Order: sequence, then structure tokens, then C-alpha cells
Amino acid sequence: MKKTFTRLMALLIATTMICGLMAACDGIGQKKVKTFDMFIAMPGTELNDGNKAQEEIAKITGVKVKETWLVSQSAEEAIGVMTASKDFPDFIEASDGYQIMVDAGALIAIDEYWDKYPNIKNYLSEEEWNMCRKADGHIYAIPQFGIVNERDVSPIHGDEAWWIQTRVLKWAGYPKVETIDEFFKLIEDYTAANPKHSDGTNVIPYTILCDDWRYFCLENPPLFLSGSPNDGSVIVDPETRKVVDYNTTPIAKMYFNKLNEVFKKGLIDPEFFSQSYDEYIAKISTGRVLGFVDQFWNWGYTAQDAIKAAGLTDCTYVPLGIVAETGIEEQYHNAPVLDVSGGLSITTGCKDIPGAMKFISDLLTQEVLTLRFWGVKDVDYKVDENGMFYRTPEMRASAIDANYKADNLCPYAYFPQYQGMNLDGKNAWRPDNQPSEFFEDLLPEVKECLAAYGAETYVEMLNPSKPNQPWFPMWSFSNDLTTATPGGLAWATMSEVKHEYLPRVVMADDFDAEWTEYLKIYYERCDIDAFLAEMQAEVDRRIAVAEGK
Amino acid sequence: MTDNHKQNLSDQDERLAEENAAKKTLASIKRRELAYSKSSQKTSSGPNSDKSTALMSRKDKRKLRSERNAEPKVELSRRTMLRQRELILITIPFVLYGILFYYIPLGGWVMAFQKYKPQDGLLGSQWVGLDVFKHLFSEASFRLVFRNTLAMGIINLILSFVFAIGFALLLNEVRLRAPKRFVQTVSYLPHFLSWIIVVGIVRDMLSVEHGIINQILVGIGIFDKPLNFFSKPNLFWWIVGFSNVWKETGWNSIIYLAAITAINPEMYEAAALDGAGRFGKMWHVTLPGIKPTIFILLLINVGNVLNVGFEVQYLLTNGIVKSVSETIDIWVLYWGIGQGDFSLGTAAGIFKSIVSIILIYLANATAKAAGEERLF
Repeated sequence: MKKTFTRLMALLIATTMICGLMAACDGIGQKKVKTFDMFIAMPGTELNDGNKAQEEIAKITGVKVKETWLVSQSAEEAIGVMTASKDFPDFIEASDGYQIMVDAGALIAIDEYWDKYPNIKNYLSEEEWNMCRKADGHIYAIPQFGIVNERDVSPIHGDEAWWIQTRVLKWAGYPKVETIDEFFKLIEDYTAANPKHSDGTNVIPYTILCDDWRYFCLENPPLFLSGSPNDGSVIVDPETRKVVDYNTTPIAKMYFNKLNEVFKKGLIDPEFFSQSYDEYIAKISTGRVLGFVDQFWNWGYTAQDAIKAAGLTDCTYVPLGIVAETGIEEQYHNAPVLDVSGGLSITTGCKDIPGAMKFISDLLTQEVLTLRFWGVKDVDYKVDENGMFYRTPEMRASAIDANYKADNLCPYAYFPQYQGMNLDGKNAWRPDNQPSEFFEDLLPEVKECLAAYGAETYVEMLNPSKPNQPWFPMWSFSNDLTTATPGGLAWATMSEVKHEYLPRVVMADDFDAEWTEYLKIYYERCDIDAFLAEMQAEVDRRIAVAEGK
Repeated sequence: MTDNHKQNLSDQDERLAEENAAKKTLASIKRRELAYSKSSQKTSSGPNSDKSTALMSRKDKRKLRSERNAEPKVELSRRTMLRQRELILITIPFVLYGILFYYIPLGGWVMAFQKYKPQDGLLGSQWVGLDVFKHLFSEASFRLVFRNTLAMGIINLILSFVFAIGFALLLNEVRLRAPKRFVQTVSYLPHFLSWIIVVGIVRDMLSVEHGIINQILVGIGIFDKPLNFFSKPNLFWWIVGFSNVWKETGWNSIIYLAAITAINPEMYEAAALDGAGRFGKMWHVTLPGIKPTIFILLLINVGNVLNVGFEVQYLLTNGIVKSVSETIDIWVLYWGIGQGDFSLGTAAGIFKSIVSIILIYLANATAKAAGEERLF
């Protein structure tokens, strides 16, 4: 008995080894596909094995990248563990952990290798590359976002806004909603008249995401309510060019007071402060939430698609540019900006740096860009006689189906890419940016809503973007602050205090007492002046750079 | 004849004596045993005659035996080592395991005395003496997490002891074998669930919208509207404490149940003769019977007070309760790993270990002074 077992085991092991050998030899005849691994310090969805577009890209480039994503950790923790163990993937998008990786000497200086790869070297202009350089003069990350080819044609507002379901606006007869008071009045009236969602549960009139760094949904509206563009961490007065802390302005107080007032009326999701990002996305995906503040990229590509896929055609959202009071001009929509606070990096753990560079370079050819963002020709899109890309209704339906996406589409979204127009100058970089596609795909409910406000696209719901100021956006500086400087420490402490006190302020029985308490702790624990001084220095530096000094 | 053989013989004698004793009339045994157990409660165990040895509970006997074993010291000679070579061989992997995973990592402690940078390595980093510790103790947030850790540790310690012992006592009173076993098995199953699942359950149970606890409390009219449990900082420690109770009570009670089965059933009969009811027996027989177990476990757990955990607080927390939910471990993760300040994280870890060692010594000394069972 025992002998039989041993023999069986031996046979099994032998078979496995032979199979392994054969598999290894398999690639020798043809072009062998290299595999790189990549970690992205953001939550995301893993692709399934044998993903069609990924295979097609591998045929052209000879490379396949296995992407893994952040799971229930903060980016800093994940990157911290990685630098402590020195166990790095080949590619990394380190997000908030970028500075940690640079400090740990874990990244390859891109500019030392790029001479053979013009696609990479010419991806940004000389000045733009200079913005990416670290103190030692090297470039450790290639920005992925905000690089626009020709012109920005996006009909979608990808940034922050007050999002509201079209059914709410329709019910009220598409009124003009400009101020925060009007916004909550509308939500309140609608809820009173329509307390139930189509699945029989109660609607959630308003929710706020407070999970980790995404708590900007709670804390940064005062910035927008005062009519400032999204500098992220501070308001920069365009006249005086001085930084202002938006956390303690009268508008901030008014905003939180308003939230407190509507919370007491039961209009805010009672679990807003403890929900995780996943729970939040799940909640919005049900279509129960009437309104919220968020950056579109934070929820749109998942939840909006889920709502559409579920057939809740009157429950998708349109953006509103809400301000504190009439007379303030909103600036929610910005021209695309280059995010130089991080990007795609190659780590010291990569054994084949030329191979990795070549892959990045290959990804920037139009053939591969089309595969990444449009999919496989005649499967995910078709081309008409004029060379314009279009999709059939079935193709459109597949493209929002999560399972289909995991099996068939491979955008390699955290690799460098061109937004705006394709390099052929005909098509947009992505279906949802293609005007013909956008209008074909638009739900009738949304079309009606947009038309009622004299708009054709989501972007037209908001004021057109103004030219970006030379210091814009300041978040690309504050994102990389570390606790090593007094200002960075203050920035981290501010975030801690706000995390703790702002939900309290919203839920307080006595708003004024809680607000006073918040301000007291805020000024006691955070060295605001140190933070503002560092921000001011950066504003001045950027202005100086822009003015060529 | 070697000492061991002698020991074996005397063990056999004991067993014979025990059998003989059993043959004697029950009543006389009971009388004597009662007398013995009463006297032994006063004087603990002194030198006993062979006859009384036969009448001692098994537990005391084992103790006596171990005292005897300790008496003739085994010399560490080459001969003994040769004779016990199998035993020594068996222990080698465990000793190696200990060295590899408990002692070698301690080398990393030098980080706490350096301004450690990963790229410079352990040897290349700049030495700063006790600066890191000074920074640590001046950090208000560290004092806060130390308080949280200690508070949750003590709450967990007390709750887990009370519930595990209480549960073991009650379960022991169940007469029917089948339900007793069933309850025991079911009660320790949660121990095998990962905290992330337990936290999911806890969050669902306490949820405002559909949580069963809120539904019950509102249903029977204790609250007018659902209570938002996670928005109350003063409830957080108790939520953690009771989550722990739910998860670990069954598991912790196993050891007490085992100790209870080791109590001589004759003691109960004797107590019954003296007119003790169920609770009387619990109080006068069962509890004193498992007292040594309780003390040993208490000592071990006091040393673990600061290891109050990481997952449950990490997963249950939110912005509002952060000031009461953060433990030393989370703090170490945030500063050490998250902010890349390895030195500060290590210093906090060292501090935690030292406090744990002090605690366990204090507890042991207290037990020694009180003349109770102790670890060393």
C-alpha cells in the first residue's frame, strides 16, 4: 500500500517536471513573452488570466504585465512594508508612498535610460520633465495623467462636483440649483415626496465618504464653495498670490453648519463616517443615494457603470457646481493638469530595465494605445469608411460589464498614456471621449436633463475651465509632503484632527460648541503657520519658474 | 539502579496503594478525604505519609511527584546527554526556531538607537543614542495609544476571565452529555474565524440601519431611535471587549473544563454529604480545584495585556473613535511602516516589550507573595 503510494507520488512529480520542461521549451520556438509584475498602490480590479486585449498587446510588445492592487491598507503602509523588505515588483505606481520609495533609493532614474526610447523622452516637453525632477536632478516617475494630445475633447467632467441623480432634478422640473441651501432643499423635498427607492428600500438622500485619504469628500467642499479651483490643500488668492487655509473660513463654518442641520433632519446617511470605500461604492451602485460630493474618477468608472448596467436609467448622476451663496463664480472644471506628484516607476527590483523601458515606449504607440483604450478591433469597436471608430449597442453594453472588462479589456491604466485625441488626429483616446460615441451612449434621461440646462455634455453643466494658474495645482506638492518637515508634520496632524472632528461636527447635538472645540484642538495641535509657510514657498517657487526666473 | 527507575517503582507503589484504598469502604474514605482537603486548604501541602498520599487528589499527587523529581538534581554530564540524545535531538528544531525567529530579529533593535535609513542599512546609519526614545515619550499621541492599549488590555483580560470561567462552570453543570458537547463545540468555533470576518459580523450587528442589536433595543423600547454605536468613543473599548468575548470565550473555557474534569468526583460527593448544593459545590470544590490553572493563565495573560491586538481595532476604527481605538501596534505600523520612521516604530516596540516583561514579573512576584501557583 505504502509502496504504491510512493510510486504514485514519484510518477506525479515526474509528470509535473516533464510538463514544466515542455512548457518552458514551448516558448523557445516562437517569440517568448516576458512577464513583468507591477504594484499599484490604489484599489483596483485584477484582470483575469487570458485577458484578450492583454494577449494582443503581448503579441505586439512581447510583454505581459501582471498588475496587483492595494487591498485594505493605506498606500504608505503597503509601500513601507515593501521598502522594509526590499522586495520590489518591476513596475510600481506608489501613489502616496512615492516619496518613501525615492528616499529609500528604490527607484531607477528614468532619465538615465531614456536616450534609446524617444517615445518616452518626447512624451513630455523639456519644461514638463523638469517639473518631475527630484532634488538630485533625476526623474523617478513618469506621469500618466493629464498629458493631452492636440486638444481635450472630454465631454465628461472628471473632477469634483456635487453629483445629483437626474430623477431628482426631473421631479422638481429642472430648477436652477446654485447654492448649498438650494441643493439640500431640493434633496429634502424630493425625499419627503419619494422616500422609497425602486427596490423598496429607503433612499439615502446624501452620503459622505470619509475613508482614509478619500475624506476629501467631507473636508474640501469649502474650497469649491468659495469659488476656488481645486488646489487641494489650500486656497491661493489669485490677486495677492497668498495661500489661505480653507478649513477655518466663514464659508467652512457655514458648510459644516449646513451639514449638521441636514444631518439632524435625517438626510445624511447615518453611517457615513464609518463606511469604507468599498461600502460607499456598493451603496452608490444600488442607486439609492440621491446626491454626494466626490471626484468623478473616484466613483464614476465603477458605480455609474453599475447603475447603468442594472438598468436604473433615471438614477445616474449629473454634476452641479454648487457655491456658498449666489454671486460666487464656481470653478469646478479645470483644464487637464499634469500631475507630477508621482507616476509610473521602475524599481531596483527590475532585472530587465531595457525590457521595461521598451515596453513603456511600445505602450505609447498608437496601435497599442488603441488596444488599451478601445479594445480589439471588430470585437470591442468597429471602424467606418472614414476611419472613425464606433461601437454597436452590444459592444457598449459589454464595455460596462465588470466581468467582460476583466476578461477582455486591458487599459494598463497606470502606464503613461495620451488623453485628448488619438495620434491619428481623428478619434478620441477613449470611447467615452468620442463625441459620436458619447451621444449614442447617453441615456435619454440624462440627455433630457442636460438639455433642460442648455448643455450637451456633462462638462457644459459647469462653467468652462479657466486657464490654469502657474502654481496650479497645489495638491501635487502637498501630496508629497512627509512628516520630516514641520509643515509636512502639520499637514499630517491637520488630517488627523479633521478626520476625528469633522464627522463629530456634522453629527453634533450642539454645533457651535463642537465647532469651537474643533477649532481649539486644530490650532492647538497643528502648526498651521509652518504648513502655510511651506505652501507659500512652493507657490512662490512655481511662479518664479513660470516667469522664467 | 538509577534515579529514574526508583522513581518508576515508587510511582507503581502509589498506584497500588491507590487501588487498595479504593477497595476500602467508601464512607471512611470520604470522611478522611474531607478531613484532608480541609487541612490541606489551611496548610497547603506539607510532607505527607504514604497513606495520605493515596487519599490525595490526583492534582496534589502530581505536584508532590514533581517536587520529588526536582529533589535529586540531574547533572549535565556527557552520560546523561548521551542517554537522552533522542530528547535532545527532538528539541533541536525548536531551539533553532526560537533562535531564528525570536532572537535574531532582536538585532533590529539597534534601529531604535539610530537615525535609521533603509538605504544606509543597520551598520551605516547614524547613531543617536536615546534621542528616539526621548522623542517617543514626548509624543502626545504615543501616550494616548499607550493608555488605549492598557485600557483595552485590562478590559479584555477581565472580561475574558470572567466569561471563560463562568461559562466553564455553567457548562460543567449540564448533565446531558450530548447537549454539553454540542454547546462546547459550537462555542469555540468562532475562535477559528479570522478577525476580518468577526469585524464584519460585529459591524452588521451594530449597524444603524439593519443591525439586530439596534432593532431589538428599539423594538423593546429601550431606545427611541437606533444608536450609532461607532460614533461613541466611550463605547469603543467595550465593543472590542465583547467582540473578544464572543470570539474567544468557548476556546478559553476548554482549558478550565479540562481542569474541572481532573477534580476528583469524590470531592463532590463529600461536599454533598456536608449539605452543599449546586452553587456550594461550585464555590467550594470546583473553583478551588481549578484555582492553580486560573493563576497560571492569569500570569501568562498579564504578560500579554499589551498584545491586545491589532486587527480588531484597525478594522473597526473610524475617524471619530480614532483617539480611543489606536493601539501601540497600530501606532507602530503608522509611524514605522506608513511614515517610514523605522527607528521610532522600533523604539515603541521595545518599550512595549519591556513593559510586558515588567508586568509579568510583577504579577509573578505578587503570586509568590500570596503563596499561589506561579510561573517561575
